[in-house]
Amino acid sequence: MRAVTWQGVNEVGVETVPDPTILNDRDVVLKVTRTTTCGSDLHLIGGYIPAMRTGDVIGHEFMGEVVEVGAEVRDRRVGDRVVVNSFIACGTCWYCRQELYSLCDNGNPNPGITEGLWGQSPGGCFGYSHAVGGFAGSHAEYVRVPYADVGTFVVPEEVSDDRALFASDAVSTGWMGADLAGTKPGDTVAVWGAGGVGQMAARAAMLLGAEQVVVIDRLPERLAQVRRHVGAEVVDYSTTDVMAELRERTGGRGPDVCIEAVGMEAHSPGVHGVYDQVKQQLRLQTDRPSAVREAILACRKGGSVFVLGVFAGPVDKFPLGAAMNKGLTLRGAQVHGQRYTPRILEHMARGELTTEHLATHVMPLEDAARGYELFKSKEDGCVRAVFLP
Amino acid sequence: MDLTQVIGRATGLAGGAGAALLQRLQHVRLPGVGQASATDDPERAARRWRAVTVLRDPADVDPAAGLPTPLAALGDRIEVRVTPAPGDRGTELAARYRHTPGPEEIGDLRAALREAKALLEVGEVLRVDPQPHGRRAATPQGAALEGAAKAAPREGVL
Repeated sequence: MRAVTWQGVNEVGVETVPDPTILNDRDVVLKVTRTTTCGSDLHLIGGYIPAMRTGDVIGHEFMGEVVEVGAEVRDRRVGDRVVVNSFIACGTCWYCRQELYSLCDNGNPNPGITEGLWGQSPGGCFGYSHAVGGFAGSHAEYVRVPYADVGTFVVPEEVSDDRALFASDAVSTGWMGADLAGTKPGDTVAVWGAGGVGQMAARAAMLLGAEQVVVIDRLPERLAQVRRHVGAEVVDYSTTDVMAELRERTGGRGPDVCIEAVGMEAHSPGVHGVYDQVKQQLRLQTDRPSAVREAILACRKGGSVFVLGVFAGPVDKFPLGAAMNKGLTLRGAQVHGQRYTPRILEHMARGELTTEHLATHVMPLEDAARGYELFKSKEDGCVRAVFLP
Repeated sequence: MDLTQVIGRATGLAGGAGAALLQRLQHVRLPGVGQASATDDPERAARRWRAVTVLRDPADVDPAAGLPTPLAALGDRIEVRVTPAPGDRGTELAARYRHTPGPEEIGDLRAALREAKALLEVGEVLRVDPQPHGRRAATPQGAALEGAAKAAPREGVL
């Protein structure tokens, strides 16, 4: 089959690889019909997560049709049209029973790598390095899906592929941030980052009853999408003092909930940005956390900050004093998609959650290298490149 | 030794180096990574109980009824302790060698405990190989990563 592979730092290509097979009785094999780039892929491609091997198949946000079913799969049939969560979870361990699916004890066959770095191992993920299992990714004609009864969801007839695709990760990640940050009716929610995840975090906050939702970014086409498709307010951080703007909009309090949807390669104007870039390039810190810092400083006293962007290691100049003295709740997680996908598909079926606008560039799988170039450079208004295998 | 042999030798050494690096990772003492406290002496570290918590009733994990196959394979070389976990978290399944084990044996025990937990909770151990992949460049960095990934089920803080 044809598949998109990591071929070195900043090198992505399409090559012929073996077809996947059923390896466990709870597996299915899926014919991939839609698979999309995600901002977190850029960290892999850029070499910031040094656990990629040349030839690894990438991609973790996808949907498709079931074409083969393992002997112990109970709820899926050949021909089912399903959307798949990016993290691989058994559904039976204590973490899965707490609906903390990305922390599954039985989803990552390579726990030794991340236990050494972080003290504990998260679950496994499709196409996201050997640190989280080394599973082949979804940018391919076919993909093996372990624990299929837990991680695949049949898409309702009234939801199109173009909409359902993003239930896989962007919407479920955004929804998780809004939910686990404790968004309540009447809250003001600020979201850093107007990519797919940030936009969906904002939409989820609105559906959870937030009174005011503000999305912060610098790219005009993304801010325009937020206004038009999400219905939230926007702030351009390249022309506006974000802290002053948020204070003014909240009667001086600051947002009740701050959601960071940017990750380890955050851009920042002025001396902050230069500082983080230099330290990261010198390997004196692994990640650029400027959006997290700002979220902590902007948040109201006693408020909540949720880190949705992917980070890998230690960061510098972390405002722990602000977090402690302001009594903040600070949380983060990889996506517990299985917890949210059923209700997301219901919202999609009712037309309350639309995502088609995120797919600004739809192209054949063979054009994946160009798709990632557009996505990384954000040229031509690219928000997401979607591949059709 | 021609260039191909030199590269092959370097690649082989790198694979071993990757595994060795992973073995040391949990003992790294850099701010923000690893630990800040004292490190056990090797004898004490090797003798510690290693434990997983299994979301099953203690009766389902009773050694008298037979240990899961991966632990049973270690035979009388290990002793096993089963205790109820607090707060409806299931059962703590711990094991250690009756003698002071070497690094290979500790790796065997880590893998056996993880596989036993998966068998008790899920009924099968998740496999990852063989996975579809493209052309693998024969580089020392790649070999080091492959060595680390191969060793990963047997390493970590368990």
